[in-house]
Amino acid sequence: MNDKARRDFLIKSGLGAGGLALSGLLPGGGFINASFASDLIAGADPLTPKQPHFPGKVKSVIWLHQDGAPSTIDFFDYKPELIKLHGQEVPASFLKGIKTSTQGGVGKLFASNRTWKQYGQSGAWFSDLVPNIAQHADKITFLKSSVTVGATHDISILKLNTGGLNPGRPSLGAWIQYALGTANPDLPAYVVLYNGNREPTGGSINWSSGFLPAVYQGTAFRPGDSPILHLDRPELIAAAQQSENLDLLKQLNNKVNSAYPNDSELQARGRAYDLAARMQVTAPEAVDLSKETAATKELYGLNDDATKSYGTTLLRARRLVERGVRFIQVVTGPQDINGTSRNWDAHQDLEENHGKHAKTVDKPIAGLLADLQSRGLLDSTLVVWTSEFGRTSYGQSGTGRDHNPWGYTQWFAGGGFKAGYTHGATDEIGLQVADKSLAVDTYDVHATVLNQLGLDHLKLIYQYQGRSERPTVVYGKVIKELIS
Amino acid sequence: MKKKLYLAVMVALAGAVSSEAGSAVDTFNNPVGEIGKQKQPDLFSGSVGAIGGSATAAPQAAQTAPVAAPAPLAAPVAVPAPQAAQPAQAVAPAAPAENKVAEASAAPKKLWSYQPVKSPVQPTVNNKSWVRTPIDAFVLAPLEAKGLTPSPDADRAAYIRRATIDAWGVIPTPEEVASFVNDSAPDAYEKLADRLLSSTKFGERQARRWLDLARYADSAGFQGDQTRPNFWRYRDYVIKAFNDDKPYSQFIQEQVAGDEILPDKQEGIIATGFLAGFPDNSNSRDLVQRKYQIATDMTDTVGKVVLGQTVECARCHNHKFDKISQKDYFSLQSFFANVSAVDNIPVAKKGALEHKYDEQWAKWEAATKDIRDKQAAILAPYQEKGIKYHKERYLTDSRESIFKPKEQWNAHDRWVNHRLANVTSETDVASYLRDASENKDNPDYSTDIALKAAQYKELTDELVKWNDLKPVFGASTISGVSELGHADAPPSYVFFGGDHERKLEEVQPAFPEAITDEKPVITPTEFSSGRRTALAKWLTSDTNPLTARVYVNRIWEQYFGRGIVETVSDFGKAGQKPVNPELLDYLADSFVKNGWSVKKLHREILLSGVYRQSSGYREDVAKADPENKLLAVFPRKRLEAEEIRDSLLVASGQLEDKVGGPSVFPPVPANLGASPAQWKVSKDKKDHNRRSLYIFTRRSVPYPLLSTFDMATAQEAHSKRDVTTTPLQSLALLNSDVVLGWSQSLAGRVINEAGNDESAQLDKLYQILFSRKASDSEKETLLKFLNSHEKSVREKITDGKFAISIPTGLKENQKLDPIRAAAFVDLVHTVANSNEFIYRF
Repeated sequence: MNDKARRDFLIKSGLGAGGLALSGLLPGGGFINASFASDLIAGADPLTPKQPHFPGKVKSVIWLHQDGAPSTIDFFDYKPELIKLHGQEVPASFLKGIKTSTQGGVGKLFASNRTWKQYGQSGAWFSDLVPNIAQHADKITFLKSSVTVGATHDISILKLNTGGLNPGRPSLGAWIQYALGTANPDLPAYVVLYNGNREPTGGSINWSSGFLPAVYQGTAFRPGDSPILHLDRPELIAAAQQSENLDLLKQLNNKVNSAYPNDSELQARGRAYDLAARMQVTAPEAVDLSKETAATKELYGLNDDATKSYGTTLLRARRLVERGVRFIQVVTGPQDINGTSRNWDAHQDLEENHGKHAKTVDKPIAGLLADLQSRGLLDSTLVVWTSEFGRTSYGQSGTGRDHNPWGYTQWFAGGGFKAGYTHGATDEIGLQVADKSLAVDTYDVHATVLNQLGLDHLKLIYQYQGRSERPTVVYGKVIKELIS
Repeated sequence: MKKKLYLAVMVALAGAVSSEAGSAVDTFNNPVGEIGKQKQPDLFSGSVGAIGGSATAAPQAAQTAPVAAPAPLAAPVAVPAPQAAQPAQAVAPAAPAENKVAEASAAPKKLWSYQPVKSPVQPTVNNKSWVRTPIDAFVLAPLEAKGLTPSPDADRAAYIRRATIDAWGVIPTPEEVASFVNDSAPDAYEKLADRLLSSTKFGERQARRWLDLARYADSAGFQGDQTRPNFWRYRDYVIKAFNDDKPYSQFIQEQVAGDEILPDKQEGIIATGFLAGFPDNSNSRDLVQRKYQIATDMTDTVGKVVLGQTVECARCHNHKFDKISQKDYFSLQSFFANVSAVDNIPVAKKGALEHKYDEQWAKWEAATKDIRDKQAAILAPYQEKGIKYHKERYLTDSRESIFKPKEQWNAHDRWVNHRLANVTSETDVASYLRDASENKDNPDYSTDIALKAAQYKELTDELVKWNDLKPVFGASTISGVSELGHADAPPSYVFFGGDHERKLEEVQPAFPEAITDEKPVITPTEFSSGRRTALAKWLTSDTNPLTARVYVNRIWEQYFGRGIVETVSDFGKAGQKPVNPELLDYLADSFVKNGWSVKKLHREILLSGVYRQSSGYREDVAKADPENKLLAVFPRKRLEAEEIRDSLLVASGQLEDKVGGPSVFPPVPANLGASPAQWKVSKDKKDHNRRSLYIFTRRSVPYPLLSTFDMATAQEAHSKRDVTTTPLQSLALLNSDVVLGWSQSLAGRVINEAGNDESAQLDKLYQILFSRKASDSEKETLLKFLNSHEKSVREKITDGKFAISIPTGLKENQKLDPIRAAAFVDLVHTVANSNEFIYRF
């Protein structure tokens, strides 16, 4: 970082010229080197709220990762031509320029058994799998020209979350937490929610801080009443006891700390215990749905076994939005498909798979959109419906679809996006992006999401091993057409 | 463990097959190689490549058939062209003022770090009596120039706590402290240093930091994150290397080219686990891309770890400010072009562990034979079709190699097919059966097949029930890298924008031109290209300007919290400059002159005056050198994750002090959500209390207690431990059952050792945790706490459960008031949470 960049960083991090003195600039103390943002965290609170590059439109992002890659041509991307060509070989012209994974030609074109209707003023098409989301057609911005890299979930999920094709880069939420700190000192700014009792496959790799300090990684909120690891006191210790223990701890630490005046790192440890004590109250409260009305619960589908679990997750997400959490990454869980536990990855049994998964998410997502709007949160909250890739218009195994990184749909709602607008399109069978100049990659989605938070993806820099790293690697552009 | 379908794939290990005169070895059909059957030529006696010599050996080029002509470029819709560096990216770090002069004079020449290491003359200093080692003169000279004096020595107790934590990664015992404090011999410090360096704990601690760099893990990573059952052998190799004081040069040679230079030694192959530890996804359908990514990982890891060069920056394009060009990068990568990872080389000599493993495996096999036979019978008719079905699922350019007749394979095809064989298993045939049972378009589709598929699935469910009988962990095989018995390597190219589908010019193995004029002299062996031997030779040549500097700087960083070059893995143009270049060169130069002895390096630092200083606060230093770059004060440091856990284990008397062996699974919090397949808690409770470096490193499930304290991530080389301070750390130390359990044990130990006198108990507790006795005022505070705290404990038992935490492991005849004892556990637990324990001063 040169002097100017350093100044910018300090201003951004709220330290300013005068603030520098507090950050442990003492011998025997923290190793503060102002040319490295990473070192500043030792003394200063790494989660101090920071100013964005420019005023942001949104305060929170809810990142709805549809794990396993749903077939968006069966939900949003209506292709009459595909229905017409069902059962025929894929015309060669449609396969031009793509590398497929099947020897001797791909499967025959496959139209699922859907009925389609237009909704809202925008007249957007929705299939019968998502009747509830369809009601919010005019809140949605469709991106029908999504592309990505990779033929396997591993790589493409990594890329979706971190921008890297190999593990090691920070996830989008980590960058946001690094850039903006936390708006609520009692909660992490980056929370991960998952549907079901097991962590998504790949676990913490999906919300890693990569080369950013670990403090910026996502905090997984676990299912159940106690969302954070080690949040609950051991059974053998009563609350009053713990509080006395903390008082003693303060006395012990004060003695050591007084020998090291101005050592902000030692002092920060004391503050961390205070915060931990508050978190023991705030975190369970943040996920406690008991005070939600019956109507709200019904809105998210909590009264129906099929939607209860995902609905609970999304209702928690809304509560976190209200509490200032900046990035909430929600991963869908597996469902029982003909006796096996599967995510959206319908290589076979598309009908059963997507029928079940759509049922699980349709009502809760619709509920979330309605709820955010009625609470006046939709403008300041960006909802992103996203997946690692889409699925092919040609069939696989007779009843399923293969992976499609060449053209699929993702959508956005709220957060200053152009409601009721559709960007880009796939070809007549829904296989590839039709006009390649409108193709939008995950990097572009990241850049655009960051933009809505007031962050310029080209200026969000972290010095790592002598290299200026940014969230979009060396790619990415803000897709201006998507935003209003 | 997944039984490989393609047993023959077990790689003919170079050493065993190299006697087959002349012809390239058939990698796939030969019996498995054995270690120790063949003497290999000593590849290290030859001279290092002549400087500026024109004899650039490229013997492989002629032997190697080019791979198929580059496929026509697909429209790279999904790969946007890399953008030019943004303004912010081009910013070079501001050079510290004191280095500006040096920089100016060196400007026309090479970057400072690419210039030869000098043998600096020890500077003259005024305060000669403070100089205990040459290091001190180099530290003192700039201090005196700034008008600063060094700090007085730390007291002996503080010193031994500091040194033991730094050298061993754990706190010392009160006995060790007392014996050092009371040692009046003039060489008390030397004796202590030698004792520290001769313990196996030294190797464990040093290995942990090396494993960070080696991005060591016991699993493959990515979503599947399969277990790598024998990577612990590499971990043990590293521990042993440090404990044996293996010269660092040899250590590097073995890790980069052990399979070539020590093919008749098991250790040689195990060492290459350094290269083989790359994150991997076995289900990748693009084997050509995978090959590129694997070679990229190896290149970047070696570049970063050994040379301190972030070479990967040059993978996509030339950088205006960087010295390493894209051509340099791909020339470096070509040293790894012929490298395959192998996981199933049998150990040379089975020990008790392997026999036990085999026995247990045999038991499982016997118990499940019937089920597996039935499954095999169902699959038999579809074997060929199933494999074909599996092969067809790879991407176009992978299929080019896969479906090419073996006689026509070139080196690239060989790599792809070996990989394919390694990731193909029975389950892939079973997938075909499933498809045939469901997919009407499948030519084998029939109701009969559906029946068979259902039967097969039932049998699979049945088989899973026997999983408990499988050996828990470990294997009688080893992992490493090999060139599969072939000396011919596939050609390497510069890739446009780093995209492997856009080949530009072909390149040969070469060292980065910016760093050296030396050219590799590559001597292929009968079983390997010899490329990595040439690379290893250059890396560890006494004249390599980087290797020694980078390593001594890493060790300096371990002791002083900040490297002489702060960017410990970036000695390139974008990295920081050394704050004390003479000291760096002195250390590097004497490191090489001392035969690359790691222990001698540690010893000199441990015995230096600068390391012996007090960490006490000094107003004058705070003003004159606010960042303490000159080290007039010893820098205090938060203990690393493993040091915290291991020290708590030592304090509580619970440490299971056993070196090496398969990794272990201590319990994890119930709400973690890891599946039993990912985290199966070790049955033997002793395994729960092993040192932290023995905890299974699952890339997708980092062990929570360590992870929260900034443990290394295993995704790529991890150069520096961050220090973050978070409430999640506080929660872990306050609320973890495990930590509370250790506090109970520690309380029990204190009572056992100190008796019933509370003042003695407090002294003992402080001696264990802080290496000192409690002061009177501290005792007053603590006793006051005990008295008042009894009340809240008493209230706790009125909750109806009567459950309180009392000291554990007490001697039988102890008579205790349980309320007071529970209050004491809380006291112990709290003291263990305090800054004085979590830091070393």
